[in-house]
This record gives sequence, C-alpha cells and structure tokens, in this order.
Amino acid sequence: MSSTTAVRAANPRPRNRPARYGVALVVVAIVVIVIVASSVLDYVFLDTIPGRTALYGLLAVGLVTLGTFIGVRAFDKDPVIRRSHLIRAGVLLGLAVLLWLLVIDLYVFTSSAGPGVAAICAAVCVPTTAFGLFVVRRLDRNEKEPWRLVLVAFAWGAIVATSMVIWGESLWSAIADRVLVPGPGLDASTAFSAGLLEELAKGVAVLLLFLVMRNEFDDVVDGIVYGAAVGLGFNFLESIAYMTNLYSIFSPDGVGGYAAGFQWYSRQVLGLFFGHATYTALTGASIGIARQLHSRRQQVIAVVSGFLLAIAAHFSWDAWVQFFPIESSTLGLVEIHLRTLIMTGPFTALVIALLLSGLRYEGQALSEQMRKEAAEGTGAILPPEVATLTNPWRRLGQRMQALTRHGIKAYFALAGLQTAQLDLAMERWHRERQEIDTPLEAEYELRRRVVELRRRAGF
Amino acid sequence: MRAAPYDPVRTLYRTLLIFDIVAVLILAAGLAEFLYFEPPGQVTGLKATVVGVYQYDPTTNKTFGPDRSTFSRAQLLAAVVDWKSLPSNITVDARWYDNFESIVGSVGPGTPAQLASQPIVPIALPKNLKYNLPGQYMFVVERWANGVPVEVLARRIVLVERS
Repeated sequence: MSSTTAVRAANPRPRNRPARYGVALVVVAIVVIVIVASSVLDYVFLDTIPGRTALYGLLAVGLVTLGTFIGVRAFDKDPVIRRSHLIRAGVLLGLAVLLWLLVIDLYVFTSSAGPGVAAICAAVCVPTTAFGLFVVRRLDRNEKEPWRLVLVAFAWGAIVATSMVIWGESLWSAIADRVLVPGPGLDASTAFSAGLLEELAKGVAVLLLFLVMRNEFDDVVDGIVYGAAVGLGFNFLESIAYMTNLYSIFSPDGVGGYAAGFQWYSRQVLGLFFGHATYTALTGASIGIARQLHSRRQQVIAVVSGFLLAIAAHFSWDAWVQFFPIESSTLGLVEIHLRTLIMTGPFTALVIALLLSGLRYEGQALSEQMRKEAAEGTGAILPPEVATLTNPWRRLGQRMQALTRHGIKAYFALAGLQTAQLDLAMERWHRERQEIDTPLEAEYELRRRVVELRRRAGF
Repeated sequence: MRAAPYDPVRTLYRTLLIFDIVAVLILAAGLAEFLYFEPPGQVTGLKATVVGVYQYDPTTNKTFGPDRSTFSRAQLLAAVVDWKSLPSNITVDARWYDNFESIVGSVGPGTPAQLASQPIVPIALPKNLKYNLPGQYMFVVERWANGVPVEVLARRIVLVERS
C-alpha cells in the first residue's frame, strides 16, 4: 500500500539542477560559518555558560544538518530506500534534539533546577506544541504538507535557530551591557537584537525549503505552514528554557512552580499561535508569495518584505511590552490576554487574511485545473470526481464511505489516489503559470501513476 | 489594447508591501526611541569612582567586608560611590538593575553635592520575596541631560549566585 502514497508532484527530478540549489548551498554555507564563528568567538571572548554550550551545540547542529540532508535525499526515491533514509534521518534528528536538550539541561539549568524539572517542563510543552503543529498542518486543506518536512522545519526552529541566536544574542548583549545606558534605550537595543537575529535564524529554514523542496512549496499557504512550524519549534525550546530558568530563580521562595506554570501558559497556550508562530509565518507567507512571482526583482522584494514584517512584529512586542504592565490582581488575568491580543493580534490577523486569500485562490485554481484535466479525457480525473476533489469535506466523506464499505485498505487506496490527483492539478497549475522548472515528462509520469493507482484501487 | 489578466498573487504581493510600510514605521519608531534615550554626542569623558560593592547591613545602613563581585542570594549588598570625584555642575544618579533590567535600588538624580550624604546605594529585596533574585546585577552612575540619563560614568557588574 505504501507505493500508493509515493506519488508526489513533479516526478522525476529534472536532469540539470536549477540555479536555486546553488543559492541554497550558499545560504547553508553562510549559516554554518556564522554558527562556527559565533560559537568560537563566544567561547574565546565571553566564556559564559552559553559560550561553553556553543561548542557542544555544534555537534547537535552537525547532526541536524546531516539528518536534514539524509531526510531530503529520502525524497522521491524507491519506498524501501526512502524508508531507510527516513529512519536514519529520524534517528539523527532525534539524537540532535536529545543532545541539545542535554546541553541546555547540563550547562544552563540542571545545576539549579535539576534534570527532573527540565524533563517535566519539556513533557508539559509536548502536548500543546503537538496540537499547534497538528492545527498548522491542517490549515492547508487542499494539499497537506508531508509530516517529514513539517517536522524538519520544527526541528530547525527548535535546535538550529535557537543555537544560532543564543550565541548571537550573547555577543550583542555583552557589548550593549558595557556600552549603553540601561533603560529604554538598552531595551530597544535588546529588542532589535531579538527581532533581527531570531527572525533571520528562523526564516532561513523556510528560505531553504523554498529553494530546495520546490515541489512541496507551492504558494503562500505552504509558506505559512512551514513558517509557523519553524516558529512552533523555536517556541517549544524557548518555553522550556524560560520555564526551567524561572523555576530555579523562584523556587527558593516557594513559588518556582507558579513562575514556571505562568510561563507555560503565556508561551504554550496564549502565545502558541500569537508569538513566534505568527512572526515566522509572516516570513513564510512572503516566501510563498515570492514562489509565484515571475520577476526576480519582485521575488527579492517579497522575501525582504516578509523578513522586515517579522522583525518589526517581533521587535514591537519585545520593545514595548513594558508599556502594558500587568497588575498582580484578578484584573491582571484579563490584562495579559488583552495585551497579547492588542500587540500581536494585528500581525496574526494579517497571517490569517493571507492564509484565507491563499486558500481561496489555490482552491479556485485547483478546481479549474481539475475541470481541464477531466475535459481532456485522460482518465486521471473523471468529470464526476471534480466536485468531490475540490471539497476537503467531500473527500473525507468519500474516504469514510470507502472505509465502511471496503475496509481500511480501500480508505488508504482512495486517500493515495486523491492525493495524486491533487498533486497532478497542482502540477498543471504551476505549469500553466510558468513557475515550474521540472520537465513536462514529470506531468506525464504523474498522470500515468494516477491512472495506475485508480486501476489498482479498482475505482 | 487588452488588460492584463487578473492575478491574485499580485494582490497578495501588494498587500505585503502595504503592511511593509507599517513595519518600517515600527522600526523607525524603535530607532527614534533608541536615539532619544541614547543620544549621540553625549560622551564627556567624565569618570565616577565606585569605591566598591560590599555586603550591607540595613539596620545600621553600613557596608562591611571586602569589595566583591560575587554574592549569595541571602547576602544583602550595596555599592559605595565617591561623589566628590565628579564636577559639581552636572546632574547624576546611581542605580542598580537586576537580571530583568528592573531598577532595584537608586539614589538621585541630583548634583554630586546634593548626593554627597548618600554614598551607599543598596539593593532592595524584591517585594514578597525573602532573598535577592539570582543573576547578574548592574550598578551604574549616570549623567543626566534633558530629563533622562544619557551617559554612564561608572559601571560595575556583580553576580548573585543561584545557590
């Protein structure tokens, strides 16, 4: 049955790799150089705790890089080879996560909060973050992104991006603390540092997916999904870091649990979609828009605009949150929600507006392509199927019908067929817009496989 | 002449550019805030003398022990400033900032002569807490101009350990 879900858009790969792979290599090289230089500088000149973790963190970054490379190689391969690659990539990414958590626990918090507290903090953040990822992936109702890419985006946010900013922000803070007048000026400087470094570190992941995984990066909707996934990863590790840190600070006074619990609520419940997920979704949305622009100049402007928006949104929260103080009374509970709504709400609303527009446009385009495919009489999409394929609820209803009448195998066979049909429509859409660099044979191959899936499934 | 076909991606692109104006305004406001509190050209070259940072006894309002840069959470601490080291025609203050950049102790603002009777600047315990919060504390002597501190004349950083 696994072969029925193996069909993805734009198979086979083009013979000559497009120039964007070269750009991706340059971006990766810059990231690696920044990480290595920053960690060494931190270690030599600061010798702070993050400075020491920098050198250990390099191993985690190396594992993530290797895991991502193998994960990407696993794409578009024979199912057996792909499974083997995915297992290797999964093990490496898992090791990297564990190693990084270990580094944080051992060198930053464990000595005061203890590994037990760190483990509890991580455990309570898992369900909320998993819920966030589930919701974000479901947003793309026409063509859901593969879990492996969503999880790679999440892992980048949690491990690589956090590693990069720990070092960068340590350096910035060390310099600012010695040069600037403490107060609002220093606060603004710190907010600039957080906005700039964190959004760049997170956004690079979406940019790389855009450059390397073009087949799975279709439009503004996909950009929002990948961006939000990176943001959720960053938020996950930041939540654990803040919770354990505040626990260790306040536990001698008997209020460590409250402090950690408050952080959990503000970051994993209230700020789950409002904070980092929104900021990086803005970057992702802009990269998704750039994906469908034809002029190189407009593409660059769109990507830069997205980064600028994300940096401004992040900066405004960090710099001006102090102007909305929270009272330590019942009213404070209302104030904390209002503060998030007022300060981050407009940016989240923008993401939602872009998402809804993108979904509407994508839905219309796929519907049109399906009608064209059906009219051509290739057999890949039949005229009566168009109405069902264009509606996610009807697709689900048809699968459930297959499940109740013919069992679980029929359910998955139909799911594979529907996915392949949607991929074909997506391929047609990109080809019609002249925004695809795979050869026309890829579309023929995809169509042939859809017909084969239909034959095997007996629909 | 035929009009170009409507492309929704261009609408999304234009929406992005419109919101970019908001982004630029936000960042410009941030830069203005930074420049207001960190005005360029304020370096006078003056240096204040911080005699040291010591353990502090609030009952006698006196410091004791050696000058240190590390304290435990249960130890109260205070900085001692030699206000006479500064010219009399400037406005200054002294402040302690904790790890969260909150002010946890201060004297001034005033002229060095007005502050001469307050050489000891202690850290106040946080409300409802029994101990100092751990982390890095920064002590600064600042020169004021136009109602805001504009230059750091002396700076000391001490660490309050977690355990």
